[in-house]
Amino acid sequence: MHLVVCLKQILDPEIPSSDFKLDTQARGPAEGIASFVPSIFDENALEVALQVREAAGAGKITAISIGPDSAIDALRKALSMRADEAILIRQGEFPDLDTYGTARILASAIRKLEPADLILCGRESGDWYGGQVAAFLAAEFNYPYTALVAAVSRQEREWHFRRQSDDGWETIACSVPAVVSVTNDDHNLPRIPKVRDNMIAFRKTIPAWTAKDLGLEPQSTRGPNAELELEKLYIPQVSRQCRIIAGDNVDQKAEQLAQQLADLHAI
Amino acid sequence: MRSVVAVLIADHNEFGRTEIEVLSAGVRLAEDLGGTLTAVLLGEPPASFAPNCFSYGANRVAVAEGPVLSAYQPIAFSAAIEQVIRTIGGDVLLFPSTTSGLELAPLSGHKLGASVVMDAVGVDGKVDGGGIRIHKPVFGGKAQSLLIARKVPIVVALRMRSIAPVARQENTPGEIIKVPVTVTSPAGTWRLVDRNVEQSEGLRLEDARIVVSGGRGLGGKENFACLEELSRVLGAALGASRAAVDLGWVPSTWQIGQTGKKIAPDLYLAVGISGASQHMVGIAGAKHIVAINKDDKAPIFQMAELGVIEDYREFIPKLIEAVKKRKTSATTL
Repeated sequence: MHLVVCLKQILDPEIPSSDFKLDTQARGPAEGIASFVPSIFDENALEVALQVREAAGAGKITAISIGPDSAIDALRKALSMRADEAILIRQGEFPDLDTYGTARILASAIRKLEPADLILCGRESGDWYGGQVAAFLAAEFNYPYTALVAAVSRQEREWHFRRQSDDGWETIACSVPAVVSVTNDDHNLPRIPKVRDNMIAFRKTIPAWTAKDLGLEPQSTRGPNAELELEKLYIPQVSRQCRIIAGDNVDQKAEQLAQQLADLHAI
Repeated sequence: MRSVVAVLIADHNEFGRTEIEVLSAGVRLAEDLGGTLTAVLLGEPPASFAPNCFSYGANRVAVAEGPVLSAYQPIAFSAAIEQVIRTIGGDVLLFPSTTSGLELAPLSGHKLGASVVMDAVGVDGKVDGGGIRIHKPVFGGKAQSLLIARKVPIVVALRMRSIAPVARQENTPGEIIKVPVTVTSPAGTWRLVDRNVEQSEGLRLEDARIVVSGGRGLGGKENFACLEELSRVLGAALGASRAAVDLGWVPSTWQIGQTGKKIAPDLYLAVGISGASQHMVGIAGAKHIVAINKDDKAPIFQMAELGVIEDYREFIPKLIEAVKKRKTSATTL
């Protein structure tokens, strides 16, 4: 059983709004305002893959990332969480990389590996929220696609996906191979790597593949989303004034708030 | 760029707020572009769907019909959407960010070779030189982006509860056309085997007028009990921040935020929630926000209209009492 997890390295999304700044051209976040981390849902996706392998008692997990050289840290983290292999694809060679291109490049890389039984991506990246690469990968491979999956189990010759629906949960039975996008859930919190696994991960080699390795012409990966123009990127100003309920003690404050709620016709 | 299409899936659902929002965004965009709005219906929509679409501004309703549409299946439905659009035309396709919308927007966009933007909170057609503008928060709501698309087709998935509904018009005429879908089931199988509707205290978070919500500050699973009592007294639905979900205190269906539910209640009571930007994204549509937190530096106070700086453990029981007292006196009057 081969599971492929696609990871993106992003600016730490947990930094407070007050520290968030844009670069001088306002095309993206300023450099140095926060560290880089694996995108949260991608880590949930890896956790799901690890649980599938544990339940099966065997299997191989490959983590793949397209990114700058620094993305090697995200892959190193995946290895310390106990992915078996990690592959970096150098983004620098692909100008104007859009979601179509990302999916095409990932698909070319995945085709070079042993056949995948399941390809997992986070539901969206935690920076620009593209939310498309998993679906585009399914289209590249002509595999079934399921979004918002929180848990995966193997039932004989099918995958069973527990996924978020609009008003609860659904279980989907799906043929193998398949592509899923993963959402967070209390059962797929990314595990904390063990110290020993960190050390093993640091000794592993992470190959960096180029366009040539993948047999791709860099310009051929340009898709229709590269035509989108970023007209403006700005930090919205919040102008709301909060009124703090005053009072000498808790009883008074509770009474005050109840009055306010009544004024708002809430009670 | 004249033809705007709202793609609506009837999959166990009645016509509701989700459909109204997509149509509302569509009718305004069609107005900006001097074009028309077509609602494309897939699945097995109840008879009330089409007249409702006309009431919310659709000029035309196209009902896709074919054997492959009897049960929802992402790849087959996206192929059906491609076929319908190639038959009747469509420059801008709008989808809701429902579970099926999150699958179908990128899948059908890919088939049509469209520019695709997910998680948009608005679209307009007031662009010099032609095109549409897509409003999309990024970086957990810390920044806002404006994207211009000039080449068709364009696929946009709209964030739930982000579009103000247009006024409903009664007795609006419109044309209903049937579009035969001949695509067959794709390779591979995909079927629904189990469906669980989960509700917090019987009231859907998205539909509740009042929502009471708890976060990491509650300190434990058992402490949600006092919020449950408050929500009963107020007739509110219960929600939570991602931190409370990640800690395993409440089910993830309670999660409100960037990646949880997006809600637009009249009143939102945030208890022990610090107000991380990814959480605030989920309540951007709330009319009144009240924050209860013992940390006066919590970012939630920058977004709230009313704040109480107290330990919720002491404050909530008192608040429940005060609300109850008012309710009884109101009834005796």
